[in-house]
Formats: sequence, C-alpha cells, structure tokens
Amino acid sequence: MTDIASLRPLAAVAVPALAAIAILASRSRPNVREGWTILAAASTFAVVASMVPGVLAGDTYVTSLGTFVPLGDGSVEFVLQADALGMLFGLLASFLWLVTSFYSIGYMRGLGEHAQTRYFASFAASVASAVGVAFASNLLVLFVFYELLTVATYPLVTHDETAEARAAGRKYLAYTFGGGVAVLAGTVLVYVLAGSIAFTPGGIEGLATADPMLARAAFALLVAGFGVKAALMPVHSWLPDAMVAPTPVSGLLHAVAVVKSGVFGIARVVLEVFGPDTVSNLGVGVPLAAVAAFTLLAASIIALRQDNLKRRLAYSTVSQLSYIVLGLGIGASMGGDAARYALIGGLLHIPAHAFMKLTLFFCAGAMHVETHTDDISDMAGIGKRMPLTMSAFAVAAAGMAGIPLVAGFVSKFYLLIGTASGGEVAFTVALLVSGVLNIAYFWPVVYQAFFESETADGHDRKPLIENPLGGRFAVAADGGNPNDGPNQQSSASGRPTADPDGEYAVDRNPSDHTRSGDVGDDASETVDSGHGEHTEHTDTHHDVDDHAHDHHHGGPPAGGWERRSWLGGEGSWFVVAPILTAATGSIILGVIPGRAVFLQLVEYIVSAATVVGVFA
Amino acid sequence: MNVDILFTHYNYIVVALLLTIGAYMLVETPNLVKKVIGMNVFQSGIFLFFITSAYRTGGSPPIVGHGGASTTYVSPLPHVLILTAIVVGVSLTAVALALIVRIYTEYGTLDERVLREVRADE
Amino acid sequence: MNELLPLLVAIPLVGAVASITLGSWSDRLAWPVTFLTMLVHVGLATAVASTVYRGGTPLATAVGGFTPPFGIELVVDGLNAAILVLVSAVAVGVLVYARRAGPHSVAFHTGYLLLVAGLSGMTITGDMFNLYVFLEITGLAAYALVATGDDGRAAVGALKYLLVGTVGASLFLIGIGYAFVATGTLNMADLAEKLATADPTLVGASFALVVTGLAVKTALFPLHTWQPEAYASAPDSVSGLIAALVSTVSAYALARVTFSVYTVDFLTSSAFAQEFLLGLAGISIVAGSLLAVMQTEIKRMLAYSSVSQFGLVVAGVAIANEAAVTGSLIHLVGHAVMKGGLFLAAGALAVVAGARTVEDYDGLGARAPLLSAAFAVLSLSMVGIPPAVGFVGKWYIALGAIQAESWPIAVVILVSTLLTLAYFLRLVERMYFRTSSDDVTSSTGTGATAVADGGDDTDDGLTRPSAGMVAVVVVAALLAVGLGPLVSTFEPLLEPTLETLLQL
Repeated sequence: MTDIASLRPLAAVAVPALAAIAILASRSRPNVREGWTILAAASTFAVVASMVPGVLAGDTYVTSLGTFVPLGDGSVEFVLQADALGMLFGLLASFLWLVTSFYSIGYMRGLGEHAQTRYFASFAASVASAVGVAFASNLLVLFVFYELLTVATYPLVTHDETAEARAAGRKYLAYTFGGGVAVLAGTVLVYVLAGSIAFTPGGIEGLATADPMLARAAFALLVAGFGVKAALMPVHSWLPDAMVAPTPVSGLLHAVAVVKSGVFGIARVVLEVFGPDTVSNLGVGVPLAAVAAFTLLAASIIALRQDNLKRRLAYSTVSQLSYIVLGLGIGASMGGDAARYALIGGLLHIPAHAFMKLTLFFCAGAMHVETHTDDISDMAGIGKRMPLTMSAFAVAAAGMAGIPLVAGFVSKFYLLIGTASGGEVAFTVALLVSGVLNIAYFWPVVYQAFFESETADGHDRKPLIENPLGGRFAVAADGGNPNDGPNQQSSASGRPTADPDGEYAVDRNPSDHTRSGDVGDDASETVDSGHGEHTEHTDTHHDVDDHAHDHHHGGPPAGGWERRSWLGGEGSWFVVAPILTAATGSIILGVIPGRAVFLQLVEYIVSAATVVGVFA
Repeated sequence: MNVDILFTHYNYIVVALLLTIGAYMLVETPNLVKKVIGMNVFQSGIFLFFITSAYRTGGSPPIVGHGGASTTYVSPLPHVLILTAIVVGVSLTAVALALIVRIYTEYGTLDERVLREVRADE
Repeated sequence: MNELLPLLVAIPLVGAVASITLGSWSDRLAWPVTFLTMLVHVGLATAVASTVYRGGTPLATAVGGFTPPFGIELVVDGLNAAILVLVSAVAVGVLVYARRAGPHSVAFHTGYLLLVAGLSGMTITGDMFNLYVFLEITGLAAYALVATGDDGRAAVGALKYLLVGTVGASLFLIGIGYAFVATGTLNMADLAEKLATADPTLVGASFALVVTGLAVKTALFPLHTWQPEAYASAPDSVSGLIAALVSTVSAYALARVTFSVYTVDFLTSSAFAQEFLLGLAGISIVAGSLLAVMQTEIKRMLAYSSVSQFGLVVAGVAIANEAAVTGSLIHLVGHAVMKGGLFLAAGALAVVAGARTVEDYDGLGARAPLLSAAFAVLSLSMVGIPPAVGFVGKWYIALGAIQAESWPIAVVILVSTLLTLAYFLRLVERMYFRTSSDDVTSSTGTGATAVADGGDDTDDGLTRPSAGMVAVVVVAALLAVGLGPLVSTFEPLLEPTLETLLQL
C-alpha cells in the first residue's frame, strides 16, 4: 500500500465545483450551460475512473492541502485521498451524475421548469460535495463536505418555491444540521480521546484504549449524526418530505449522493475510525444493527400504504439504506468469515441500491413528465403508454426484492449468509421478511402497469391504500398529522390535494407535450432568460394558470392510454436512455458482479479493515 | 457588631448612599433630565470612593517640602485619576443633554412614558 | 517600532481635529481627510502587527517617559495585534461604504476618527485606568455616532445606550478602585503580580465588578438592553462599524483583563469566578438566539445575534485553555467581519428595496443577486458552515470545552449552530424561495416604514447602492469564507502569546 501524491482527488472535487460557477456565469445561454454540466460530469467521472486501477492495486492517491485548524503540536491535515472505500462512493456518485445529467436536461426542459440555472449549479455543487465526502481523509474534512452537501442540496429541495417545498426545505435543514452538530460533537470527542481523527483501516489506535463510556458516546454521536442523512428511524422523516424536489434530485441525491453520504459516514466510522475490533469490544454494533433492522421492517410496511409513487420509493429508500447499516453494524460485531460476508453485503448494497433506485426514480420522473401521473392508483395500464420505462421499472423492482440476476440479489445474498452463518438469525429473518415486503409494495405497480386496464372495472381494488387505514385517508401512514407530508394524498377522492395556492401538485410545474421530445429547441428558454430571472418566473406562473384548465390531475386521459412503440416512442431519449443505462447497470451488477469494479473494491475494503483486527 | 465602624468609615456610608440614590434615580424616574442627574450622582459616589481610598490618617498633602520627609502623605494618584474621571463625566453629561434636547425638539416631551407612547404610534 | 505605539492613538486624534477644521471650511474635505488618516493608521497597525508576529515578543512603550508601574504603558502582543489590525481594517472598509451611504456630515467623520482612537487605545493599553478612559472615549464617540441618524429614534437609542453604557463603565471603574485599594497599582502586569497575594475578597469583588462592567459594554444577556435599539436606530454605516468593533474590543478587554490582570490561576482557583463567566456566556448564547428569532426588524435581529455570538466568545475566555482562547480570538475577528458585513449588506439591501423587516426580504435574491448572495454567504458562515471562519472559531471553542470536560457549555456551544440557523434560515429562504408580494415598495406601506425606520436611504436620495458599497459587502463575504483556511497560518503565530497568557 503506497500513497501517491496526486492532484486527481482534488480535481475530482474541483471540477464540479468550478462547473457550478461556470453554469452560473452562462445562465443566459441554456445550451452552453447544459454543455458545462455534461462536460463536468464526464470529466469528473474520467478523473475518478482513472484512479480505479491504482486503488485496486493497493495504492492511495493523496492531495494534501496543508493543515486545517492546527493547535499546538496536534493538527488536522486537510487532505483529500482516494482510497478504496472513498473510491466506492466517489465512483458511484460521479458515474451516476453523468447519467443523471442527461436525464436532468430532458426532465427540466420537458417540464419547462423555472430557475434551471440555480438547479444545475446546485446540482454540480452537490456532486462536488459528495465527491469531497468520498475522498475526505479524516472526520473533519468529511464533516466540512458533509455540511456543504447539506447547503448545496437545500436549493434543490426547495426548488418548487411553494409552501410545501419551503416546509420540506426547512425540515431538511433542521434535520441534517442537527445531525451535523452531532457529527461535529462526535468528531471533537474522538479528537480529544484519541488525539487523531484520520481514517485508519482497522480503526484509530487511541480509541481502543480510551474511556469506554466516552468512546461509546462518541460512536453514538457520530452514528446518530450520519444516521440523519442515512434516514435511520426515527430521524428519517425528512426524506419522504424532500420528495417534493424535482425527480432527478430525488433520484441522484435522495437515493444516491446525500443519503449514501450518511451511510458512507457510518461506514467510515465503523471501519476506519473505531474499527470492527473496537466496535465489537464496545458492544455498539448490535444496537446499531437492531435500529437498522427495525427501520428496514417499519419503512417497508409504511411503503405498502403510500399511493404516491415517489413517496413509496422514498420509504423504500429508507428501508434499503438500513440494509447497508445493518450489514455494517452486524459485520463489525461478529468475527471471522461471517463478519466479512456481512460487511461485503452491506457495502455492496451501496452501489447496488444506487443503480436500482436511480432507475426507479427515473421511471417515476418519466411518467410525471409524459403523463403527469404521480399516484400508483392512476397507473393501471400505463405499460402500454411507456413500455420501456415500465420494463426498466420492473427489472429494478425485482432487484430491490432480491430476485437473482439483478444487483440487489448479490448484496442481499452476502448479507443473508453473513447473518446466518454468524448466528444472528433474528437479523436473517428480518432481511427475509423485508424481502417479501419489497415484493408486496413493488409488485402491484408492475402488475397494474402491464396486466390491468385503466377502464373503470379493468383493475382490482387496492385494499391497503383504499381501506380506512390506507394511505389515501386521513390517517397518515407515517403516524403524523395527515397534513404534514407534502405529498400525502389525503382527500377521499383519491385526487391530489390542492396546495394553498390552489394549484395541484401535479400541475404546479407546467409542461408542454409538444416540446418534450424536442430538447434541442430552446427558443422559448432563451427568450425567457433574456428577461432575467424574474420575468422568467412570472411567465412560469402564467403557464401554470393556463395548464390548470387543461390538466387537473394525472392518470389516463379520457380515452385510455394510447399505445406507444417499444422503440422510444414514449418520450425524449434524454429521459429514456438514462433509464436504460441505470437499469442495465443494475443487471450487470447482478449477473457479473465479479467483473463490475464495485465488488472488487468492496472486497479490498473489507480485507483491509478486518486484516488488522482479530479476524485476521 | 462594632458601631464605631459607622463613625470611622462614614465616608463609605456616603459612597454607598450616593451610589444607591444615583442608581435608583437612573432606573426609577421617567424624566430624562433627572436620569442624567442620577447618573451624575452615581458617578460622584465613585469619585468619593476613590478620594477616600487615598486618605491616610494624619496624612498631609503630597507636596514635597511642605511637611518634611517624615510625614505621612495621602496618595496623590487617585486625585489625578478622579480629575480625569470628572472630565469624562462632564463630557458624558454634555452629550446626554445634547441628545435630550434633540429628543425634546423631536417629540416635545422629556417623559419616558409619554415618549414610549408617541413612538409606539410612529 | 516601540516608540510608534502612541501614534496609533494619536493619528486618529489628529485626524479628527483636522477633519473638523478642514470640514468647517469645506464639507467635502471631511471624507478624504478621514480616509487618508485611516490609511496611515491601517499601515501603521499592519506594520506593528507584523513586527510582533515576526519577532514573537511583545512591543511595549512607556508613554511620556514615566516608567511603569507609575506611568502608562502601551503593549502590543499576539493577542491584541490581531484586534488592532481588525479595528483599523474594518474602519477603512466601513468608511468606503459610508462614502455614498452616508452620513455625510463633518461631525460623523470626526466622531468616526475619535471612535477609532478610542478603540485603538483600548486595544493597546497596558494600564487599567487608561483602559477606563479609552472605554469612555469609545463610548462617547459611539453615542454621538448613533445619534447621527436624522430622526428622533436615533437620539432615543443613543441616550439609552449612553445611560446603560455609563453605568457599565462606572461599574468597571469601581472594580478598578477595589483592585487599586488592594494593591496600590494600576499597571496590568504589576497588578497581576500583586493581586495574587492580595485580600481574596477584594480581588473577587473587583473581578465581579470589572467583568460586569465589560459585560455591559460587550452586551451579554441580561446586560444587552441598550444594544438592539442603538444598532437598529443608527445609520447603517454606523451600525456596521459599531457592531463590528465596539463590542468586539470590549470582549477583547474582558479577555485581556481576565488573563493579564486576574490570571488563569485566579479564574480556576477562586470560587465561582469561572462559573460566573460560563453562566453569563451560556445564558447569552441561548437567550440571544431566542430573542433574535422573535425579531421582525432585520437590524434588531442582527443585534440579538451579536448577544448570542459574544456569549460564544466569552465562553471560550471562561474555559481558558489553549484551544478555547484561540477559538475566542478567531471568533472575535471572524464575527466582526461577518456581523459588520451583514449590517452593511442589510443597509445596502434597504437601499435597493426598502427592506427593513423580515417580510421585506421576500424575493430579494432576484432583485439584488450579488448583495443577496453575499448576505447568504455571511449568514451561513455565521451559522458555522465549514470551512468558513464562523466554523473554525466554533471548532476551537468546542474543542476547548470538551478538552476541559465542561459538558454543559459544550452542549450549548454545539447546539448554538442550530439556534443561529433558526434565525438566518428564514431570511435566506425568503430571499430565494419566495416571491415578493409587492414589487413596488416605494409607494406602499413597506416603503413608508423604511423611511420611519431611520434609514439613511432617504436623506441623500440614494436609489441604488454604489459600487463601493457592494464591493465592501462582497469583500466581507469573501473574507468570511477565506479567513477560515487562513487560520492554519495564523495559529502558530499566536502560540507564544497564549503560552504567556495562560501560563502554560
């Protein structure tokens, strides 16, 4: 293992950061602006990918930026380093950013969204922070980027500028900064206890001998802090609310970058701050796994009763993230091969879930762009209208449930073997039950889309959603006030509730079918931008008024879904191609996991983390 | 309790009285000018405290040659300090009165309660 | 370099006289004279600071040739060299802003230089009574500056400031009296030696009075009552200057007196001294934030925010270990830049849109992109988003608190992030994610309020902020971010001083 001084880790962070500035600067020329996004995404991915062979060979790329907050003899080095664990997250975030960039362009233009410059700039800044999180070399640097990520994603959550978007934004910041405070407190505590906060495979030395109560407190603070973004219960409720954001944001950030930064933080804490050894000595791994197990079961059950597709996906995310945390928690508290399997399963689920969930969100977004359908109960027969999209959805959903040949199977398999062979059968059962629940909440969507008809008696009743305790009625599925969730569909008619402005959630953002397939034509964009941001805004609101008369809700048009071809007739290729890419990714990870780079990275990480421990 | 202390340290009693009276006026009177007077009384208490601290029983003015080398002198330093403090106090009073004049021309009152009512309507 | 120290006070004094003389001849000369004076001052301050940091030893000089402990001593060490440069640099920045924003009167410029003289004096003096005199000079100049607002509100605010400020200074003076009675000396270094062996009751009483007096000037809760009204009623340039410097230098004086006069030994050994400071700081942090959340007027909100932030600084002083004191100094400097910038930004935004209340900030992000962005950056830095300077200060103070294992204050310090977020978030949200309900403010009620609020935007007919004003705000925002990483070069320079101060 050698450290290679290189500017590449810095470049991976700096390129998207500079792109954010370039995007702001070229706000009046949408094509140039989108060009920057694509260029930055491609070059970020290229830079990160170029380090993969070295990292797999055991090297670490290091950019040192001098000291940060020095004090006396001790100081914290501001170093970015691309090690195996960082590479796992960095590679994932940068590759999926590239995919999402194309999708974003199709989605935002297809809907004629306002403030697109702010959107793309924040997106680039978010990715810069996410890559920074990946390549942080110690807890403080990680914290710096973790907080910047919160700030950069806030404009994306609040993008709609409606009352519910603002409420979601406030909730998001309150939760994540609350978590940030806990992380900071934990970081300081570790620094005081151990005299160092640099990530060390196998754990920081000083912590093993520190006062166990304080060490436990530090672990609790760090995990609770990162747990907020990882959406562990009971601090998960920002995530479903944040689904008010545009779908690419929900896709990349709220299924990949942001939530994974929380999970990644927990991984760093477990593997490289405390180390599996110390975690097991302190006895904190099993409680963590127990919280995760509770979360994954409870979130799956809640997901069953969500009628809004994005909200159901959000609860699915909450549930799936806990697979990873469970793997880490349980893996760190067992010994031998069982631990190794559990850790591999948990870490491998990071990319596996990312690919699958991104596919699912992209599909949800495509349906929104094309047909304004947000509710699952309106999706009967939609497979005719969007065949490719719904097929991709079916593949990814199968993967989520752990059906073989899709990515989710491999990671869940490792997790099951790990927990079962380690004797933690309770967790094995929890995983299996959750798998069944996954099928229960995804299958109806797929079944409806392909095998039911949108006509009045063409589909079955949905007892879980329509019954008094179902998601459509006044009892909120997450146990809170029925009005607290932005997308909570609580009216008895099953139609989206009007928000305070009298606009319907679905139609808040205007769309233009004639333009959706024609992204090259941005004449109207240019005109809008010419008037400055404010004018653009006013225009948008005019659109909303016009559209309110045309479409009051999603769902099938009066004559039923029209049948579109399988060859891309269902929408812009900017939207369809990313869906197919992400879906293909999920299959590749499921069919040939050994060839896809992620499993190799994960195996490398796990052996590095456990080789110095008792398991060696 | 030794009653003598009241008579030997009467200066300090006056200091305490001045400070209390000054502070009370400052807080209690609604009249702005009287507040400034209270502030002056408060400061006078401090001045007296410093001057008292300089005093030595049987001491003579600290002027060399006046009473011979063997005499006890009172400490000269606090006198000098208080001279400065008095100058500061006078400047403060001047600024305060200038502000009060402006408040009076603006609102036509020196009463804090009336002032509050007038400004609430603003 | 030693013999140049008195000039730090003398130059602005001479400049004040020059500006009033030349100004009475022609109004238009006042600003150039003031600016020139400040340029000389900033040059001298920088030279002094760089000598101190490069040499590693303090500079000291006895004024008028009277040797200490009898004469007055001026001392510049690592602690106050930074403050000195801060005072000078911020004063220059605000002056550039005031070029167009006003006030334009000669009296303003004279008062400005007197304030700088007082602040510089407070910063460099090594004598307790001299500190009192400079405290009062600073106070007098500040009262007068607050009153340069055109309306009655400014006069009322200034009078309240004067009454409370004078009581604070008087308490400080009594405290000095007790210390003098106990030791017979006023020189700080000499006091530090003699107080150690003096009657502990006298020393304790003296400490309590001095700290209370300075706490009034620093505006710690519950002694902050003068501050919101004074800041809110003063012209924008003045609130920027005072918010950035007056409380800062008072807090510095509190630190200086605690470490150089009463010493860390006293703080830790004597009963309740440390607890007293910690309690004051903790209550300030929490109460200041809560009061800030309740405000509707921007400048009052920022004023209460200062109450909270100075609680943080004093907490660092009270914890009194290397990390915490480093943090206090950094936060002192950082807060001055951030809060000064915020007040100036608020002033410039008031010029753009007549925005004086929280509601007025709706949709400002679109109307004044650069100013709003600067305001947002400064706010986020104040919240403590890394790597901005607001975070670095908080990191050190929190580190110090945890090292000292004083858990309650550590919790308060960390949670203060969320409290600060509570009052800044709503502004950022309104600026960027709401649209203004009425685009034409000048003819509506909001516009009228802005006039009544004592803004200077009406008296000289400014319709949009000048380039200079925007530039100053943007520079403040850049500094707020840029100073954070620079701390790593500054901290080693500070270490020798801290070792002396904290008797490590």
